[in-house]
Amino acid sequence: MINLRDKGAEIWEGWNRPTRILFSLVAIFVVLLLPYAGNYSITNILNTPISSYQAVLVYPVGMYVLMALGLNIVVGKSGLLDLGYVAFFAIGAYTDGVLGTHTGLNTYEVLPIGMGMAMIAGLLLGLPALRLRGDYLAIVTLGFGEIVRIFANNTNSIGGPNGITGIPQPPNFLGQTLDITHQDHFFWVVVFMILLVIWMVKRLSARRPGRAWEAIRQDEDVAVLMGVPTLKYKLWSFSIGAAVGGAAGVIFASNQLSIAPQSFNYNVSVLILSCVVFGGMGNIWGVVLGASILSYLPERIRFISNAREFVFGLALVIMMNIRPDGLLPRKKREHLSNEERAALKATRAALKQSKKNEKSSRSQEGANK
Amino acid sequence: MSTERILELKDVTMRFGGVSALNKVNFHVNRGEIAALIGPNGAGKTTVFNVVTGVYRVTEGDITFKGESIVGMKRNKITSKGIARTFQNVRLFGDMTALENVMTASDVHKKAGLISALFGLPVSRREEKADRARAMELLEFIGIAHHADHLAKNLPYGDQRRLEIARALGTSPELLLLDEPAAGFNPAEKVALAATIRKIRDAGYTVLLIEHDMSLIMGISDRVSVLDFGQKIADDIPSKVQNDPKVIEAYLGAPADAS
Repeated sequence: MINLRDKGAEIWEGWNRPTRILFSLVAIFVVLLLPYAGNYSITNILNTPISSYQAVLVYPVGMYVLMALGLNIVVGKSGLLDLGYVAFFAIGAYTDGVLGTHTGLNTYEVLPIGMGMAMIAGLLLGLPALRLRGDYLAIVTLGFGEIVRIFANNTNSIGGPNGITGIPQPPNFLGQTLDITHQDHFFWVVVFMILLVIWMVKRLSARRPGRAWEAIRQDEDVAVLMGVPTLKYKLWSFSIGAAVGGAAGVIFASNQLSIAPQSFNYNVSVLILSCVVFGGMGNIWGVVLGASILSYLPERIRFISNAREFVFGLALVIMMNIRPDGLLPRKKREHLSNEERAALKATRAALKQSKKNEKSSRSQEGANK
Repeated sequence: MSTERILELKDVTMRFGGVSALNKVNFHVNRGEIAALIGPNGAGKTTVFNVVTGVYRVTEGDITFKGESIVGMKRNKITSKGIARTFQNVRLFGDMTALENVMTASDVHKKAGLISALFGLPVSRREEKADRARAMELLEFIGIAHHADHLAKNLPYGDQRRLEIARALGTSPELLLLDEPAAGFNPAEKVALAATIRKIRDAGYTVLLIEHDMSLIMGISDRVSVLDFGQKIADDIPSKVQNDPKVIEAYLGAPADAS
């Protein structure tokens, strides 16, 4: 199976800086234009039949990409299985719900608070839970996700099962209205957040924290013996992931204008985890692609109503059989210098040539006989 | 030779349930020497490494490093104090390059944390650069610099073992613990390894190694300690240990007429 990610990285590394910047800008521009794809006959295949296409781009697509990127830090980068990620999404959403309806703070002011709340929740959960490993950690986080939802459901001061309604919409962003009829502008805000998270993850991955996470993922015992303060870096990973989930929650609440506990059930955690695994654990672009597909597909095939879930599940199973490491797996390739790459190419070419020669000589032999 | 005892085990007992893996072991390593720890399989050699590096907490007794007790200290703290080890079965970070493996270890003394890494503060950049340079230096020192950008899991076996040593040196230790560094080596590789270990000692590190290969041990170590069934039965210069009847008995069994 060819490694698409490696192929992509090879092309990318072949470019110089201006080409890379140009490509990035064009790519971002194309993504920003996505909300209008439904309006033109060439691209309206993207249109979702029943739900509003532009709204689908914000939720679930944008939200899921954002959350999958956050969960990827925890699961993909540091190898900590978190099955209760929806809790941080809920905490972000409820922070916006409560502060938005009870104080004069606008969405942008609530955003850092929501992220902070999620981060604190992540720390409080992580401190005891991160001493556990593997399955045990998964069970504790799963429990935490359910606790947060049930707590919201049973607390009347935050609406109980009815949740919170009348959450204010965000104020204008760069002169653009953000309301229910302007989902395209909302989408841009989400894309901005996604780019910010990607920048952050790329930055951290390339330096000391990234190495520490990678070491923890591969062999935690050796990592700690090599002097990596594993608990500290696991806590960082957990709380950064939580903060991203919290940010998604705040945007979600201000986009939907009302929230209820049942939107934060266990299924969301599983679906986001599926996005990460499906796309390729540990690889940002894989996760973005995986989350986009898994969140968009159910909306696109909504017209087959009852068979929808079945088709979705089938697609998942088939894909994971064909590409068990995800669509774009994490790097398998080695960083080779240009000379080494040239040497490798030469070796391959020589091998091919020798095989060819062998074949032709053999066929000649055959002809001689 | 200096006589400072860089590492000292005092009456160390390590019990797992009813089994004593170590039984009142007294043992020390002098600064600047190559000390060897030998013994038949199951004698408790690797357990010594594990109690020293904090993997196990001793049941009884005390372990001091540079005069300070390290019992109960966190594993990464012990590493930052200056003890580093390799593993009997190679345990590299396979999906990282050789250079990254060493850099991960040398992060132990770095100050720049997550925030400065995120914003690319000068302190982080500077350390990153210094880290890279030091890691490269170590790979050269061990002789595998040509593999710097190759994934650890793709290296030839011998170079994986060498990389383990380089990674341990990455933590800038004063005491280096080598757990069977020559396992699976051919005679030529063993000779090269002996030279490397001497080079490491000459660079100012103290070395404690576990090894089964007697010719290697006898050739390079300044002092040899022998463990058998969790007890130290000999501790002397190699030539004397070699002829110690108790050691011979531990390895070959007692002569039939002796009992």
